[in-house]
Formats: sequence, structure tokens, C-alpha cells
Amino acid sequence: MSIKRIKAILLHEAFVMRHSFEVINDIVIYPLLQIVIFGFLTIYLFGFSGKLVGSYVLIGTLLWQIISITQYSISVGCLWDVWSRNLTNIFISPISTAEYFVSYMISGIIKSIFMFCLAGYLSFRIFHFNILNIGIVNLLLFFANLAIFAFAFGIIILGLIFRFGSRISAFAWAMIGIVQPLMAVIYPVNILPKPLQAVAHIFPPTYIFEAARNSISDPSVQWSYILKALSLNLVFFLLAIIFFNYMFDLSKKLGQFARLEG
Amino acid sequence: MDVLAVKGLTKKFGQFKAVNNISFSVKEGEILGLLGPNGAGKTTTIQMLLGITIPDKGKINYFGKNFFESKQETLSKINFASAFNNLQGRTTVWENLVVSANLYQVEDYREKIFRLVAYFEVADLLHTRYFDLSSGEKTRVNIIKSLLNDPRILLMDEPTASLDPDVADKTLSFIEKLKKDRKVTILYTSHDMREVERICDRIIFLSHGKIVAEDTPLNLTKRIEMTILRMVFDGRKESVAKYLSEQKQSFEFVKDDTIVVKTKEKIIPDLIFGIKNLGVWVTDIEIEKPTLEDVFLQISRSQ
Repeated sequence: MSIKRIKAILLHEAFVMRHSFEVINDIVIYPLLQIVIFGFLTIYLFGFSGKLVGSYVLIGTLLWQIISITQYSISVGCLWDVWSRNLTNIFISPISTAEYFVSYMISGIIKSIFMFCLAGYLSFRIFHFNILNIGIVNLLLFFANLAIFAFAFGIIILGLIFRFGSRISAFAWAMIGIVQPLMAVIYPVNILPKPLQAVAHIFPPTYIFEAARNSISDPSVQWSYILKALSLNLVFFLLAIIFFNYMFDLSKKLGQFARLEG
Repeated sequence: MDVLAVKGLTKKFGQFKAVNNISFSVKEGEILGLLGPNGAGKTTTIQMLLGITIPDKGKINYFGKNFFESKQETLSKINFASAFNNLQGRTTVWENLVVSANLYQVEDYREKIFRLVAYFEVADLLHTRYFDLSSGEKTRVNIIKSLLNDPRILLMDEPTASLDPDVADKTLSFIEKLKKDRKVTILYTSHDMREVERICDRIIFLSHGKIVAEDTPLNLTKRIEMTILRMVFDGRKESVAKYLSEQKQSFEFVKDDTIVVKTKEKIIPDLIFGIKNLGVWVTDIEIEKPTLEDVFLQISRSQ
């Protein structure tokens, strides 16, 4: 693992971001807008359902940004190079797949931490919702679990892009949105129909969002949920790596990878 | 010493055999030209040599080691330049080169970048977005990127396409210098036969995925025996025609006083003396020897 090659990809990410308003929009403006919209919805819900239900919506929206931004960073980061026909230059350099992933994970975490802090501050100032009330240890463990899931999801999307090319680039943004309703982000999992509840329990974030809602009234560490999420996350992450390697190899065997840019 | 050895390399896409059991090797400091018509398998071969396409069969050894078993180590010692490959369009030339230098773990890259951009005359474009460069400027930046890690082997896919003659000449001079000073091995593809003749020590012709000829540029041109002799003369056209017919030569009068004869190079002096002995005064001669382009056309059309 070379620090210099990881630094190269981090620099690359920073340079692309500096010149791309779209990235700023996707990972800063749009998430903040979501916080504001759901924040006002929370205030509205206070009147009907009480403070707790409103808080569910806001905490779910805040924590969702961790998945959304981290996954975006991994999946869309590679698309900038596909569109520029630059991906070959990266993969004919001595960078390993592991270094490539680690770079984008670091980049995703940096962006998520920055945005989470900003969004957390915003919800505190405007909507008087203090995310720290759920307990620092809870928050750190929630963050770690959601980030691991986002890595795994991002790696799966990356595998699909490497295999099928930029024609499925919309997956990089849209796919996570498709599974979002199943993860009970802003509502308890038990309001889902029974068959969907079973599906929901396959996804590690479901346990984290349940734990987060519990921790609003009980800030003690939600070990039971956290450990279930962590075990599932490890399985997801391992499967994602296997899936990516299979897709990447297949793409190189079929000549698709070299044609990604052509 | 062979720094690159390819054995039995084969790649099929469905039923189409893009590369069909090719074997070749390249010595240290050698420039090997990989030529062939479109669809001959040059690009697929280069993609396999770079590890972005996996061969169905065959071995690729760099520096005596299996490429796929020592990929990371090998990739740090080689590089690739192509007129058809881009860098990141949204970022500047400087930013692109800094990223590449870090990917190849180049020490003190600033000085190297400044030296190369000055040589290739793109120093004033360092802070221009790559996207905004002309194709010739992009090609030059691609070449600079490929030189950042002081590669021992350089794979170049039509690197001078879209360059103006002056910069193309400078690029070729730089390649010659790399070979002379640092014994860099180069695998070179191009459709410009003059530059291939100028810089390549050896040439491989590919057609339909197979190697159909392999030799030095000089030996390859010697395979075509026919030379074109153009003569301007002062005398009777009929006498010249009769003499050449007797000599069983193929000829054509392009004007009343100008004849073009397709003949073997070694009998040209005899023909000129023979015509002179007819009492015909040869006022001008022009000899066109076969070029690599003729070899290319002959091989391509015969396949």
C-alpha cells in the first residue's frame, strides 16, 4: 500500500472537485437543502405527532447523508475519469485496486465528516436539534457502520460501471435511492409490510436507523443493533469486494474495460 | 537481454480472433515498430501488454518476470502514450501531471515537469484545463505524462498523430535521444511509414491478428525488388521501346520523351548504357526505391 499513490488519487479528487460545480452541488448544496426541507417538515410534525416523531425524521435525514455522500464519492469519482477517457491512465499506473478503493474511502469519509458536521450544526441552529444528544459513542458507531455500508454499495456500483460502462452511470446516483425506502430511514421498520420488513433486515443501515431512533430517548450505546449491523456490514463488504473483482476481471476478459472510454 | 517477451498471445472476442497466437521479443534499447492495417490487432496487443485486457492464451514477460504475477512492479517501470488517450479534462495540465507523478511515485517531480513542458513547448499551458487544449497540445501533454517515471519500456500508440511537423520531429528526436542516452525500449505504432523507418530498429507487421512479417526496415524494403526508373531522353522513342521490349522490361511512356520502367535495382546501369548505345541521349534519370509504405501496402493487400 503506497501512501503516495493514495495521495495521488486524493489530489485527483480534490482537483476535479475544485473545477466541478456539479460535485459541490451534489455533496454540499443538495444535502443541505434536504436538511432544511426535512427540518421544516419536522417543525410541522411537532404540531401533530409530538417532538419525537419530528426528531425521527431529522435524525434519519442527517444520518442518511453519510451513506449518500460516501457512496457518491466512490461511484461518481470513477465516472469523472470514464467521461474524460482518463481511467486507462489510472489503471496502467502501478496503483492497486486496494489503493484505489482506500483513496476513495478516505475521500468519502472526509467529505461525509465535513458535511455531517455542517448539516448537524445547521439543524442545531435552525431546528434546535442536537445530534450529539444521542451519545458520542453511538454517533461514532453509527457513522462507522453507515460508512462501511456506503463503501460496499459504492464498490458494487463501481463493479457494474467497470463491467457495463458509462451507459449505466445513472446507477451511481439513483441506485441507493431505490433501496432507501427499504432501510427505514425516517420511519420505524415495523410500519413496512411484513415481506418488506424481511428484506429491510438484510440491510445493515436498517438496524442503525432503528438504533438512532431509540437513542433519541435512550442515549446509552445500542450494542444489540450496532453489532447486528456490523456483522451484516462485514458480509456485505466482503461480497462487494468479491463482486467487484469478478466484474473487473470479466470486463478485462471481454475487452470492455479498455473500451469503457472508447 | 529481452526486456519484453511475448509468447503465443491470443485474444478472441466472440468468434473474432483479434490477436492470433503471436510471439515476439524486444531487446533493451530497441525500438520495435508494430504495424498493420486497421483491425490488425495492434491496439488489442497493446491493451494486453498494459494489463487492461486479459489474454485468452499466451505469456507476457517483462524483465524476465511474468507480467500478471508482477504487475505492480512492472507497471512502475513502463508507461504509455497515445494520441487517442486523454487525461482528466476538467483539471489543468499541471494538476494532471502532479497526479501522474504521484501515481508513479516520482521524486522531485516539479523540476522534471518544468523541464519536459519546456522541451515540448507547453510551459505556457500548465494552468490551462486539459479539456481546453488543442489535440496537438493534448498529445504533447500525454507524451510528457508517459515520460514522468523515466520508463524502461515505453508503449507508444501513434504518439505523433495530430502533431505539426515541427513538434512531431522534436518528439522523434526526443525518442531517439531516450534510446541513445538511457537505452529505453520502445514499442511503437504509427501509420506514418517515414517516421517508422527513421526510428524503428525492427518492425513487426500484423494482419488479421497474426504476425505476417518481421525484420529491419531495410530488409523489409529489400523484399520488394521492383524499383521505378524514370528517364528523360533525347532520341527516337521507337528505338527505346524496342530495346526495352527485347530486355523484357515493363515500361510506359508518360510523355514522348519520358519513360517509366519498373525493373530490378541491380540492372538499372545496364539499361541506361543499353539505351545510350542506341544513340539515344539520356538527359535525366530518377530512381524511386521501394519504401516501407510499399511494403505495408503489399502486405496489407496480399492478406
